[in-house]
Amino acid sequence: MFITFAFVTLLGALGMLLQKNVIVAGLCMVATFFGVAGLFLLLANPVAAALQIIVYSGAIMVLVLFVIMMLNSHEEETAQTARPVQRWVSVVLVAVLALGAVKLVLSSAGLKTLAVKGQPMPGAMTLQQVGTTLFAEHLLGFEVAGLLLLAAMIGAVALTKRNL
Amino acid sequence: MTGMDAILNGGLQGFLVVALLLFAIGLATVLLRRTLLMQFMGVELMLNAANVALLAFARYRGGDAQATVFYLFIIAVAACEAAIGLALVIGLYRHRGTTDSDRAASLKQ
Amino acid sequence: MNKYYWLIPILPLVGAAFNGLLGKRAGKGAVTFVGLGVVFGSLLLAASAFLAMKATGDHRLVLNYGEWMATGSLSVPFGMVIDPLSGTMMLVVTGIGFLIHLYSVGYMHEDEGYARFFSYLNLFVFFMLTLVLGSSLVLMFVGWEGVGLCSYLLIGYFFETDFAPDAGLKAFLTNRVGDLGVSIGMMVLFAAFGTLTVSDILTQAGHLAPEVGFGVLTFATLMLFVGATGKSAQLPLYLWLPDAMAGPTPVSALIHAATMVTSGIYMICRLAPVFSLAPITMDVVAWVGAATALFAATIGLVQRDIKKVLAYSTVSQLGYMFLGLGASGFAAGFFHVFTHAWFKALLFLGAGSVIHAMHHEQDLFKMGGLKAKTKITFVTMFIGTLAIMGFPGTSGFFSKDEILYLAFLKSPALWVVGVIGACCTSFYMWRLMALTFWGEPRDHHAYDHAHESPLSMTVPLMVLAVGSLCWGVWGIPEAFGGTFAIGEWLKPALTFGQLHGAHGHHAGPAVLLACISTGLGLVMGFLGWSTYRNGPAAELAFAERHPFLHDLLLNKYYVDEGVELYLLRPIRWFGNVLWKLFDVIIIDGVGVNLPGALARVFGDFTALFQTGRVRNYALSMALGAAVLLYVFLK
Repeated sequence: MFITFAFVTLLGALGMLLQKNVIVAGLCMVATFFGVAGLFLLLANPVAAALQIIVYSGAIMVLVLFVIMMLNSHEEETAQTARPVQRWVSVVLVAVLALGAVKLVLSSAGLKTLAVKGQPMPGAMTLQQVGTTLFAEHLLGFEVAGLLLLAAMIGAVALTKRNL
Repeated sequence: MTGMDAILNGGLQGFLVVALLLFAIGLATVLLRRTLLMQFMGVELMLNAANVALLAFARYRGGDAQATVFYLFIIAVAACEAAIGLALVIGLYRHRGTTDSDRAASLKQ
Repeated sequence: MNKYYWLIPILPLVGAAFNGLLGKRAGKGAVTFVGLGVVFGSLLLAASAFLAMKATGDHRLVLNYGEWMATGSLSVPFGMVIDPLSGTMMLVVTGIGFLIHLYSVGYMHEDEGYARFFSYLNLFVFFMLTLVLGSSLVLMFVGWEGVGLCSYLLIGYFFETDFAPDAGLKAFLTNRVGDLGVSIGMMVLFAAFGTLTVSDILTQAGHLAPEVGFGVLTFATLMLFVGATGKSAQLPLYLWLPDAMAGPTPVSALIHAATMVTSGIYMICRLAPVFSLAPITMDVVAWVGAATALFAATIGLVQRDIKKVLAYSTVSQLGYMFLGLGASGFAAGFFHVFTHAWFKALLFLGAGSVIHAMHHEQDLFKMGGLKAKTKITFVTMFIGTLAIMGFPGTSGFFSKDEILYLAFLKSPALWVVGVIGACCTSFYMWRLMALTFWGEPRDHHAYDHAHESPLSMTVPLMVLAVGSLCWGVWGIPEAFGGTFAIGEWLKPALTFGQLHGAHGHHAGPAVLLACISTGLGLVMGFLGWSTYRNGPAAELAFAERHPFLHDLLLNKYYVDEGVELYLLRPIRWFGNVLWKLFDVIIIDGVGVNLPGALARVFGDFTALFQTGRVRNYALSMALGAAVLLYVFLK
């Protein structure tokens, strides 16, 4: 199960990276998000999975796709000047980072102790648990997040007005 | 090879590897694509990778709801950032007629 | 009364400040009153101090007015020492100084800068007194430098002309070369004796171990002599004195005849015991003095400017003084300082009177026949000339012959040089007198307007003339039946702290030598007078026949030109090199511009990173993060 979801996620991401057409790339992104939701399910966190799908693929990606279509930028424009150095440095850097990180994770002793099989795992996350924690301990954070969303809303409207 | 084992069977290390690879791909997108919107999507991908790592650790270290709450906040922030960012991209397009980030280089020395 | 003696130098300083700061506004009357008054007051106090000194048993008054510097082992109090040497000099400075101030009232009467003149003159008196009375070499040096400054100020008094400021600068710079010698000498003395107080040095001088002492003292005294050379215009640092005639005549009289130029001799007399212990230096002093005496006298033979003749005469007479010192005749040398002050001041002031009468004409070839018109000036200058040529009975006779006698004892060659110089002296002085006062007037216009000078100018002339005649009595040597009183008088000062006394003389050769030199002098004088009494025709003829010799002497052996060519031009070239190479290229280019250019290059380089492109910035951030991660996770 894990492998499947992992593959979906990673393939979607790669697709997004490599696609020329921006809309197709966006759709690959959506697939990635679904994969991630699946991973969350495997982590016994259905709340997170649901939220992922609703908010990320349902709202954010839709917004992005709207903007893409509005701005008519389906195709990637040709570069003004080819910059092979930058391209290759980036690729190398990213590859190094990825492989290094992976190797680190795999060889870490501390992580190994955490992942021993046979340990009793906690139960699945319930919405009730989340809600209780949220409104009991993190009420201030909740309010502030609300305020932030308000500000973002106002900001977005203000920024896109044609005539201020 | 407990490592490979974990990867194949969904242990903590597996999730972490996925998260790290996702982060790497997101970074690559930001660095290699010129369209602002693609770069934005890369950033979202990096955020998601972080989320995966967060929840994986939460699960394997006691699994209370704190992590999920935090995840909620991360999503809220990501949404705000998406709204503002896209608004800015629209503004840039109106001024420059392009969404190529390389052309928006008037802060050049 | 002791506590007022500090006013002796300070009164003139006050006068200088008043005249300098308020003089122009206060008016000529106030300036005259203050300018003369402070010097007169100083003179009275000096007389009082002199008498007080005589009353003490060892003829020595030491007055300390507080500490100036006390660091480490060096202690320099504001102190005065009044002993026979400094006391006599003090009276000369204030007395003859006063006469010259009085003379200046008349001479400078029409000048715009009257107040400035008196301010500088008073300032000079202050510094000269500091030099004379200072109890330590440091105070003496302050005075030394100060009189050099005043000399510069007064020579360059007519600053609107081209020539005077240059002459002032020349004097100052030449003096500076000498001052270097004095500084080094002082430092060596301090290193050797640990003190700069004169009395301490003299006391310790005798106790210095011979092997160490000899080298150290020789070096120190040679350096001090270099300084004396500069200040007292001996070879080779005499070049400034003839040019100094660009200053007003009273200045030439006071500074360049009577007082400042004798500071070198004064200093050597003060440190006489130290110099006595350095026989090599004494030889150098004697020979330089003799050479200068002859050298300058020959130049004076053909000069046309009346003041220039007297200037070279001064250089020559100073040479005689040094000759006396070098021959261990410290008292004799100082005696000649004393008599020379009287008759040279007289001659200069007389020349000033002549110039005044001839309406600022200074060329001898244009004068003539003045003895009918300016009688007092004529008579007084006649007396002065008698004194300088050593006419028997005048003060100059006794002082000069004492020196020549001592020179003979040291080395007959020195005596010969001295006598030749004396002959030249006689000749050129009578040439001067003849051209000025005898014969037909050559410039009728000026002659018609010529008149005797006012009382304020003639009274000093008369006083000085009497002095030139009479002071001889102080120094009549035993050979002529006297007691050489001045030698006895000066002994406590000259031999302070020493164990042995001065040497005696023999009567016989002294009389014979004196007769020879005086006789030759009289002959040459008569020759000079008779050649020129009808005008300069003879000289012009001589110039025709021997142009090379004549021009050589007239142009002062081309020394000035030589200095310009071989010394000054290389120095200027070097300065130019320092400027073009060092300053512009190295300091400006490398020191200042290079860092600037480097900063710019570096800045331009780092600016390359500011592309304005977001992706580049993101890449840089990612690279940075990677490096940090690597470092922290290592």
